[in-house]
Amino acid sequence: MKASPYIRGEADWYAPTAATMMCVWSHRPQLLHLAIFFSAYVLGCGFAEALRIVPGITVSIWPPGGVFIATLILTSPYSWPWWMLAGCLAEMFGQLVWFHSPLPAGFLIYVGNALCAAVGATLVNRICGRPVWLETLREVLAFVVLGAGVAPLVSATVGSATLAWFGVSSQTFTAVWPLFWVGDATGILLVTPLALVVIQQWRAKAQLSAAQWIEAGVLGLIFLGVAALSLSNYYLPFAYIIMPPLLWAAVRFEFKGVAVALTLLALMTMALTISGDSQFVGDPESQRQKQVMLQLFLVISAFSALIVAAISRQHQQAVLTLRQSERSLRELLETLPTHIWCTTPDGKPIYFSQQFRDFVGFNVEDKDADGASRPSNVLNAIIHPDDRDTVNALFAHSLATGEPYARKHRLRRFDGQYRWVETRASAMRNSNGALVQWNGVCLDIDDQMHAADALRRASEKLAQATQAASLAELSASIAHEVNQPLAAIVANSNACQRWLDSDPPNLERAQVTVRRIIRDVNAAADVVSRIRALFRQSVETKTSAALPSVIAEARSLMADEAAQRRVRIDADVENDLPRVTFDRIQIQQVLINLLRNGIDAMELIAGERILWMRVRRVGDVVQTEISDCGRGIEFPDKIFEPFFTTKQSGMGMGLAICRSIVESHGGRLRAENNKPHGATFIFTLPVDEKAAS
Amino acid sequence: MTTNDHIVFIVDDDARIREALTELLEAHGIRSIAYGSAGEYVRAEKPDVPASLILDVELPDINGLDLQKQIAKGSHPPIVFITGYGDIPSSVRAIKRGAVDFLTKPFSNDDLLNAVQTGLAQDREARLERAEMTALLERYSALTPRERDVLPLVVSGLLNKQAAAELGISEVTLQIHRRNVLHKMQAASLADLVRMAEKLQIPITHSRRGPES
Repeated sequence: MKASPYIRGEADWYAPTAATMMCVWSHRPQLLHLAIFFSAYVLGCGFAEALRIVPGITVSIWPPGGVFIATLILTSPYSWPWWMLAGCLAEMFGQLVWFHSPLPAGFLIYVGNALCAAVGATLVNRICGRPVWLETLREVLAFVVLGAGVAPLVSATVGSATLAWFGVSSQTFTAVWPLFWVGDATGILLVTPLALVVIQQWRAKAQLSAAQWIEAGVLGLIFLGVAALSLSNYYLPFAYIIMPPLLWAAVRFEFKGVAVALTLLALMTMALTISGDSQFVGDPESQRQKQVMLQLFLVISAFSALIVAAISRQHQQAVLTLRQSERSLRELLETLPTHIWCTTPDGKPIYFSQQFRDFVGFNVEDKDADGASRPSNVLNAIIHPDDRDTVNALFAHSLATGEPYARKHRLRRFDGQYRWVETRASAMRNSNGALVQWNGVCLDIDDQMHAADALRRASEKLAQATQAASLAELSASIAHEVNQPLAAIVANSNACQRWLDSDPPNLERAQVTVRRIIRDVNAAADVVSRIRALFRQSVETKTSAALPSVIAEARSLMADEAAQRRVRIDADVENDLPRVTFDRIQIQQVLINLLRNGIDAMELIAGERILWMRVRRVGDVVQTEISDCGRGIEFPDKIFEPFFTTKQSGMGMGLAICRSIVESHGGRLRAENNKPHGATFIFTLPVDEKAAS
Repeated sequence: MTTNDHIVFIVDDDARIREALTELLEAHGIRSIAYGSAGEYVRAEKPDVPASLILDVELPDINGLDLQKQIAKGSHPPIVFITGYGDIPSSVRAIKRGAVDFLTKPFSNDDLLNAVQTGLAQDREARLERAEMTALLERYSALTPRERDVLPLVVSGLLNKQAAAELGISEVTLQIHRRNVLHKMQAASLADLVRMAEKLQIPITHSRRGPES
């Protein structure tokens, strides 16, 4: 039986057109499949005839219904006309050979059966989708309720009405209907699972192990024995004793077991009934009730076995999924490129990942010669002696408090080499918050540690070299600053001497040179004192004071110079500023330096030259901003570096020293460009804690 | 007090140094002109008298050493370098390129004055040399082509006979040419003529012993 994909739209199905006809033609089944279907249908009719034991009643268990519905479930609706045609021929054949109903009545009954199969297959397919595997509880329930329960309502109604109408064996509608329904339902429940399993699953060759074959054999024998004993009316007059082996088959062999067992059961029942040994055979009066009992027995057996098989399959699937996820989780743990370990809440190792086992060279289960656990003997010993105490103390602290553990230390590898590792562990707690176990990772960071070490050494060397270079540059810079005026002085004094020595002495020229000498000497002295001021370690200790007083001082100190260069200094100082601790002279030096920079920056601008100071509290610092409207800063990153200068005559030390002064006060100094022009220098000083609280 | 037969150029970006040096030189009777940058010096109209150049290494536009390299092609006054930070490599470089001296500020006045005087003397000599050379070239250009042929043969020391044979003329004709050469070149003697030829870089092409075989 060819299972074609179910793709066609329903509209095509309900509105037969030329295209639909073409589809039906193109979906015609293979002749062999049709022949098999035909034979199965006829066989089913024979089976039904064999079980027809109630005199005067023409209906009994109806296996062809099961064959029909299974076939339609598996095939495309477009091929259904073909199956229906074959079914019709088979049933007419059965009528001729066994049932001997009038031909029109037989045909009408068949129409009812065909409708039942079509309704059942459509409903089951709609609910379960294709293909129908009957693997989940939902599918089994859908099949049992819709396929075996609802669909036979149609055939029972049509069939009973026909029998009553034609008065076949003078049967009434109400008397026949229940038997008809139960008969069809039993047939479907018994045969459809078998057909579905045979067609869909037997193809995928099931691999049964030797043990399973033996179990299947034993179960088969028990099943046959119990069935024979319970169904015949001589030994165990209680048919339901078959249930335990039936459910055993369902649990252990699932649908295949159920299908085989139900088939065996049906065949046994048929054989015993035919031979008259069945307990369902009785005197004519009780025969009708016995018939119902037999059908109910089969229905309940089939129903129970199918449900149990579905539950068992679902359970199996769940177990399989669980096992798979567990395996992939374990593989993940074992293959992660890090060392993973777990300990009990009191720190006893219970799991090392493969990577960790390879690193330390033993596993948690390993025992030493003395029989003691190897990890408890050795684990402590492989921590580097210098790190051991701190590691133990820290881990003990974590164990006691449940706080996460993290530590870098050296650990001896299996080959005796100590390597730096970073160990981190955290507690795993259950839903009640109780500590269940400690999970940890241990990363080999030996290479990084060595690299970091090398980097640190290199940068230290670099810093030393830079310092030396700075010193050399600084001394050269100072020498130049001082040598310029000195050279002038030497030349002028010599000239002066010449003017005085000449005859007559040229006093006028001598005076000019002497004035120049004095000027240059002062310039040299200025340079020296400037340099001394830069490097002066202020002896005045830092005192807690209000910043505005120093700002006012600095402003007045700069007032002359600012006025000379047409710069206005505006200040906006917040009231009630908290006190800060600072060295008055140093901070004044910073302020004057920044103010002078601002004035210099505006040297070349044409418009109004305003230097704007703003002092305010921001969080727990007092922030001083000095903004100019000059050209801004071209290299904001570099201006604080020593010897970086943009001025014709400048040493490039001022801002570097300002920054170091501010930082020695615990503050920060930074520069920003203003929009649209100018720059702002901002420095902060921390508020006194006493004042802040 | 200062004389006009020489000049000292000062190039320094520091006005105080310019001032002081001008004053010092003037006190020693040396006339000077000061410039603030290399560009200013190069562009300036300079008197054509023996001169010396006091050049600061650190200049706002170009480095003094680079200026020395630039003007090396033409004739320029001898250079006395002054610098705020003298280092050995740059001083060696400067001296190798012909600087008179390389002084580190603050320098002693004697050193500077000595160097300036040396520079002036060098320039004077160079100027004399250049003048003499100009005169010689003028005289040489007055010679006829034949006389120019005769000159190398005579200064090579060939006998009149040999020289005449070389040029394929008679000995008497050669003697006339030789006399004219001596006269036109204003040479007092043959030895004087040889010295002149050497200055004019006229090669000695022949030998009295005959061509080397």
